[in-house]
Amino acid sequence: MGRRLLLTFLQTLMTVFAASIVLFALIRLAPGDPAKLLIGRTMEIALDERTYAKMLGEMRTEMGLTGSWFSQYLSWAGSLLRMDLGTSFYTQRAVAAEIGERLPATFLLAGTALLIQVGIGLLIGMLSALHAGTLLDTLVRLGCVLLASVPGFVIGLLLLLALAVKLELYAIGSEAGLSRLWLPALTLGLLGAPQMIRVVRANLLSELGQVYVQSALSRGLGTRRVVGHAMRNVLLSTITLIGLSLTASISGAVVIESIFAWPGLGEYALNGILHKDYPALQGYALVTVLSVVGIHLTVEALYVWLDPRITRRKKEAAHE
Amino acid sequence: MNSRRGSHTLVFGMVMLVLLAVPIFAAPWLSLDDPLAMNAGARLARPSLEHPLGTDRFGRDLLTRTLHGGRTTLLSCGLALGSALAVGMLLGALAGMFHGSWFDIVLMRIIDVLLAFPFMVFAMVIAALFGTSLFHLLLAVVILWWVNFARLTRSIVLNTRKSTSVDAAFVLGISPLRILLKELLPQAFGPVLVLATFELGHLILAIAALSFLGLGSQPPSPEWGSMLADGRAHFMTTPHVLLGPALFIVLTVLAFNCIGEGLRDRIDPYEKHRI
Amino acid sequence: MEIADKRERLQIENLEVTYRQNDNVHTVLDGISFTMYEGEILSLLGESGSGKSTIAKALIGLLPPSAAIKSGTLGLDGEPVIFLSQPGGAWNRLRGRGIAMLFQDARLALNPVMSIHAHFRETLRAHRLAPKQDPSSIGAGWLARLGFADPARILRSYPHELSGGMCQRVCLALALCLRPQVLIADEPTSALDTVNQGEVLDLLQSLQQELGLSVLLITHDLNLAEALSHRVMILDKGRIVEKGETARVLAQPKHGYTRQLLAARNLTSLSEAVSVSGRRDVPLLELQDLKQSHGSQRRILNGVNLRLHDREIIGILGQSGCGKSTLARCIVGLDPADAGTVRFRGRDITRFKGRARRKLARHIQLVFQDARASLNPRRSALELVQASLHAFRIGSRRERLERARFLLNEVGIKEAAQHRRPPQLSTGQCQRIAIARALALRPEILICDEAVSALDMSVQAQILELLQRLHRQFGFSILMISHDVRVLRTFCHQIAVMHEGRFVEQLPGSRLASGEHDHTRLLLRSADRLEAEARPASARETNMTHSSH
Repeated sequence: MGRRLLLTFLQTLMTVFAASIVLFALIRLAPGDPAKLLIGRTMEIALDERTYAKMLGEMRTEMGLTGSWFSQYLSWAGSLLRMDLGTSFYTQRAVAAEIGERLPATFLLAGTALLIQVGIGLLIGMLSALHAGTLLDTLVRLGCVLLASVPGFVIGLLLLLALAVKLELYAIGSEAGLSRLWLPALTLGLLGAPQMIRVVRANLLSELGQVYVQSALSRGLGTRRVVGHAMRNVLLSTITLIGLSLTASISGAVVIESIFAWPGLGEYALNGILHKDYPALQGYALVTVLSVVGIHLTVEALYVWLDPRITRRKKEAAHE
Repeated sequence: MNSRRGSHTLVFGMVMLVLLAVPIFAAPWLSLDDPLAMNAGARLARPSLEHPLGTDRFGRDLLTRTLHGGRTTLLSCGLALGSALAVGMLLGALAGMFHGSWFDIVLMRIIDVLLAFPFMVFAMVIAALFGTSLFHLLLAVVILWWVNFARLTRSIVLNTRKSTSVDAAFVLGISPLRILLKELLPQAFGPVLVLATFELGHLILAIAALSFLGLGSQPPSPEWGSMLADGRAHFMTTPHVLLGPALFIVLTVLAFNCIGEGLRDRIDPYEKHRI
Repeated sequence: MEIADKRERLQIENLEVTYRQNDNVHTVLDGISFTMYEGEILSLLGESGSGKSTIAKALIGLLPPSAAIKSGTLGLDGEPVIFLSQPGGAWNRLRGRGIAMLFQDARLALNPVMSIHAHFRETLRAHRLAPKQDPSSIGAGWLARLGFADPARILRSYPHELSGGMCQRVCLALALCLRPQVLIADEPTSALDTVNQGEVLDLLQSLQQELGLSVLLITHDLNLAEALSHRVMILDKGRIVEKGETARVLAQPKHGYTRQLLAARNLTSLSEAVSVSGRRDVPLLELQDLKQSHGSQRRILNGVNLRLHDREIIGILGQSGCGKSTLARCIVGLDPADAGTVRFRGRDITRFKGRARRKLARHIQLVFQDARASLNPRRSALELVQASLHAFRIGSRRERLERARFLLNEVGIKEAAQHRRPPQLSTGQCQRIAIARALALRPEILICDEAVSALDMSVQAQILELLQRLHRQFGFSILMISHDVRVLRTFCHQIAVMHEGRFVEQLPGSRLASGEHDHTRLLLRSADRLEAEARPASARETNMTHSSH
């Protein structure tokens, strides 16, 4: 089991390395000179040609844009390892610091959304599976298909319209905190809920069809107890989806943050796009990539930890 | 035997898709207003007989714009997804067939790397670096989205390759190419079709979300996402401006989801005969 | 008639169960009534689809939602009569303590994420038996009674760490620790190999006598029923067509269906039917010191030597995991050998690949155990048989079609079924198609890898007869691989006994009983023990008298 985790970890490192190359290449492929962008159009007009050229040269050296692509990559990757994500073109502040300020907000949002989503998914998915074939089940399934067809921002805007504008239950501009968190978190949670419900329902139904369930029932175990046993297996098989959902919530937070003016990473990235702020975007992309692979690694570790079929290797027990 | 599982959902989805697609693709030939014609006198008008979905801030008829916009949205999403599907299925089938070869190993590592980029994030990076346009979004789709099809095809080809029926074909002396074409790929068609239907729905949603953020097609050309972005500013006062495109997106995605569900229930040849 | 004096344990009256499929309702069980007595083993015999398992599930209240109990009562000793057609929790009281059940595949009957200890704990707690005593001591006690040398270790284990036979013994311990009155055993050993089978059955029998347990043994295996049970019931199409004392029913069957079942087990011996042609110099197929390890440390084939001559039938007998299937796959090139040679008519074909290997398909064909899985579900029977003819471009389109028709007729697939696809055909029909397909290229060697072991007894007999007839008609040689002594004994000229990747003994089919190697004797004992025990009916009667006191 340790070897398996180590292998996954090494693979993850390779993935991160390759992803950094992809990002580096994309930025170098982009049209326009980053140094010119940073200095700004005004300077180019205001200064005489020689001063401007000199300034440009200094700026290039400072930004590590001189030398071969290879050495440029090395110095860029080196600064990444020192947690240096460069300086924002727009605010002139260190990107790492800015991201550090916003990261907790996005994680808080995504984490709360995940809790809501898993809660809804387990509860409704279980209800639906236990009442499979009834009206309740049909309604749940219809609801899931319908909800999965609505864009996230539409749900967000509708909730905003209903709860903030009509019912005045939610104040958009209020202080950051729980009173401000719940609506965006609910929206984000609702977005992932249909898939969670469907998977929990399908997994529980398939577990309930297993022989061990019949066997437990035949030994006189009560329904509640047996469903509990089946749910252990369901939870185990839902871990992957939970990981994927968290990833989706982190990246999908962009839209929700924009609608609810939630000061998270997504909003930061959108500002970055608006101002052609490459370092900001690059930092954002790197942080999300790291979260994605980090979540993936955690999911793997959870499996190794929780699933006895992986934890305990098969013994040679044939001759007993 | 006459009422197979999933057929209701499938028929429902198909009918809905046809009902949506006919007006959308016939829009240029219907006697509708010009989608770009502005009318200063009727700005942000509420839905009425003259403008069933109302008008936008330039007084343009929203029904006309929604129908015209649908063509752009559906065609571009379909085209991008189709390319992703073709690339993914080809690479996946090859990787599955030559399992363990350097091709397979390299492909799987590339897929790992691409999977580390959520689509939204990748699309945002592309939009920031190369400019905001629908074309760039679709480019991001083709770069990332083939991965799902490749993984599915590869795993099906791999599983089927180990199956008794392929062993049997080998023993019968049937050539590898024929085995790939007749035994392995047909197994993948069904699931890939189901996946594609669902993914088309996802894609429409994702493109709409990105356009809503202003990263998709730019005004004034009508497209569902950009119409949403356009109406966003007036949403609190005149929510109806979002009704047209939002409704059409929901209905289209719903149609694809229903078709996907229906197809999934029908695909397995053994599944149908179960009690 | 000693049984009549015994106390009645369980009474089932007029049980009727229907299944709903789409809009049709089928009656699966029709007026089933029977009585079980204290301390007896009652066998329920029938083929798949006869409704055996439905009876088990109806008695313990585990029918799927598509099934409905139309009528029926269940009377258990000391309990009020239960009307089975009424919904509700009447069973909950009975399950476990009144009626317990043993399932076919014990590995699946245990929750993969719970330890054996947790299984005992949950089971005992559900019946409020745990607080008084520590679950692990109760569990360990029962595990010890079921022959486990180290119960503490088993309690700590998870199901995937145990073998199939061990899992079945654990399941038996779990069932018995609640001291049920009636145990339903639904094909309890058919997922196990011969040796494990014997072990589990021995335990079941001895504990049954010790505890005075009534056992309803559901099986398709006549020999098993004959060996173990005091009485049998024969089930056909949802009705009990015959019941009575085992010896009486099997010796003088009254009902036609019972006779059919009995006939299926007595196959005509082939040794008289076919005479082996004389030429013995160049063998058709020759294996020399064949080795294969699947890339792992353990050798799966460990030096196999064999000579197969024209028109000869050689049986390969061995337990599951002894390397039989790998041998078959080695010969046809699915799993290439690591060392040794395979010669076909003197030519070394061991390392044939690509085109050369493909051409061998015209000489050597393999029929797989799981016929259904070996057929592409999307193609009709006719298309399946033609596939290889097409691959070798043999004949015109019409000739290929005609040959396929001819072969399918030969194997007994009628015109109407020839256009159907595997999902619409029975397992027996699928196996017939697989045989027809293998014969399409007129091979000289047909390898049958457990070709009949997944089939019902009567279908098994039909397929074996078919193979015998085709063998006479076309004159190919057969390599018949099986774990079943009965299948091989009547069918093969020679039988090679395989154990741990090598042949330990080779004997003429008729003289298998005189085998000398320990493993041969073990296999024979496991298979024969039941029969031999069953034969003298009087011996069993005395057994009964002992257990009743």
